[in-house]
Amino acid sequence: MSRYEENLWIITRDNLFALMEVFIKTREVIAPVRGHGGEVIFYPIETIEDVAWDWQYVNAVLPPKRFFLPQTEVMFEYRHDNSYKITPHYDDQVRMIFGIRPCDVNALIFLDRFFGGGSLSKESTDEEPLFPDSHYIKRRANTFIIAFGCHQPGENCFCVCCDAGPFLEEDYDLQLTSMNADYVVEVGSARGLKIIYGNEHFFRKASSDEVKELERIKEGALNTFADTCAYVSKAIRRITEGKVDDSLWEELAERCLDCGGCSYVCPTCCCYNIVDIALSDKSGIRTRTWDSCAFAGFTRIAGGEILRSDKKDRLKRRFFHKLSYRYIEKNKRHGCVGCGRCITTCFADISMPSVIEAVRRQ
Amino acid sequence: MKDVYYPDIALIDTVRDETGDVKTLRMRFKNPDTQKNLSYRSGQFFEVSIFGIGEMPISITSTPSRKAFFELSVKNVGLVSAALHRLPTGSEVGIRGPFGNGFPYEEVFGKNLLFVGGGIGLAPLRSLINNVLDNRDNFGKVIILYGARTPGDLVFKDEFKWWESQPDVTMLLTVDRGDEKWTGNVGVVTTLFPRAGIMSKNAVAFVCGPPVMIPFVIRDLLELGFTDDTIISTLERHMKCGVGKCGHCCIGHKYVCIDGPVFTYHEMKVMTE
Repeated sequence: MSRYEENLWIITRDNLFALMEVFIKTREVIAPVRGHGGEVIFYPIETIEDVAWDWQYVNAVLPPKRFFLPQTEVMFEYRHDNSYKITPHYDDQVRMIFGIRPCDVNALIFLDRFFGGGSLSKESTDEEPLFPDSHYIKRRANTFIIAFGCHQPGENCFCVCCDAGPFLEEDYDLQLTSMNADYVVEVGSARGLKIIYGNEHFFRKASSDEVKELERIKEGALNTFADTCAYVSKAIRRITEGKVDDSLWEELAERCLDCGGCSYVCPTCCCYNIVDIALSDKSGIRTRTWDSCAFAGFTRIAGGEILRSDKKDRLKRRFFHKLSYRYIEKNKRHGCVGCGRCITTCFADISMPSVIEAVRRQ
Repeated sequence: MKDVYYPDIALIDTVRDETGDVKTLRMRFKNPDTQKNLSYRSGQFFEVSIFGIGEMPISITSTPSRKAFFELSVKNVGLVSAALHRLPTGSEVGIRGPFGNGFPYEEVFGKNLLFVGGGIGLAPLRSLINNVLDNRDNFGKVIILYGARTPGDLVFKDEFKWWESQPDVTMLLTVDRGDEKWTGNVGVVTTLFPRAGIMSKNAVAFVCGPPVMIPFVIRDLLELGFTDDTIISTLERHMKCGVGKCGHCCIGHKYVCIDGPVFTYHEMKVMTE
């Protein structure tokens, strides 16, 4: 465990509600909210009454990826009078994501390394990125993370097999875990500690019994996971070494509907397209939008040729990217955090666990 | 922090028709300091914007040894390239880059160089050829073999005479189909190999052309004694971001935009789509 400081804190539910009301007044607070259809989604809240609390949901149907990499975002606007003038667009909104689960935080850390070259919640990054993505980095730097540890998994959760939960060990600001009627608070960053000291009257230090109780809760949570998907490393090795026969991808390709849903719900998928939109003869915007390697057009080149026109090659590509050791080396972890959303979403049962299982059986 | 997505503005100074569907645009950055500080390697590319239409990667065809301008040769094949073809001189375009690894240059000092080009594939090679010929003493023998579908499809015809006239340069042309004026070789580019005097010893081959050409050229080069590491080529992908992020150009664990577009045949062989 590498907490920012060894002290644990306790905040009562009432005090947490009161503290959140303070935050809502000073920044945009994104929290799990129950939508009209009953699903839980991350959404900006206006009052603490809107929040779906940790005991009321396991995870949101979509990851909070869009608050860092929006589905469509304006990169800059251009205007041509006598000459082109380009005005970059940056999102400077100060945000807090409240109630994010450890798997989704680990996905953010993955994206931090990919877009920013290091873990952005730390004061210094591991390495200078070759091409830092200022749009992502600005949003990430302006977003405070309050995570909820998970007492028990949802039906599709497998974070334990992906080293991504059910509790965070580092790279968060604050991590809250329900304990009796209160929350125990772990501090994971300097700015997390600043929040505690800036609102000290809401918190008290945890007793040594409470520290022990938290360890018991964490152990207990681990024990509630079924032994699913424990063959990740087998899949990693076989895919890295090219030892998966193409017939496996051919079989999956017969079922794949090409919908791209897996990429859209995946908290680590971050491929995008760049599209210009003219708003008049003289002005317009450049946008980037989510894209998916599942789409045939993803590899279209000049002249119209599609390089991965065969669906089996696209599936192979997706899982190579998620699991190959070549990418683990680059991104410091494999590209799955075990959130289980691909299981929930895919009509054709092509999910991380089902592919890992198929690789194992082959 | 520099915004890697922010394009600089460049002006089109001259437009030269190479063929019916290829134009060479000579450009310079609008900001004189940006132009002065421009440094690139042969084989690198720019992301070129026509605002409101889009952006496309185009390899730099000028040589870094000539500094007042840069040149891009563009075949009219899609939305952005068609728009580029319509632009008159004096127009402004957006430029990001240079991106990509570029060809080995200092690494091949003292070596004999073989260039094998097909069609518009000569564009990136031309940058290196001119860079080599502008620094002739640093290199050994130079052989340039170039083919196109018809005589009308040969690009950079204006420069062939100068290339041929340089010391210790062999230059041979071929076309798939001749016309009434064509007196040169007819056949694919590999038909030039037997009479080009190719020696694989202390030599490196640079190969750029249409995908259909590459495997045949490589097969014959291997027969001539070139190795997986002395055959160098480029891969084509639609690199949308140029900075290793958007994912469109990934092959295996390589990003063509930052790890390439220049690869040895050895690197290409171990890639899995």
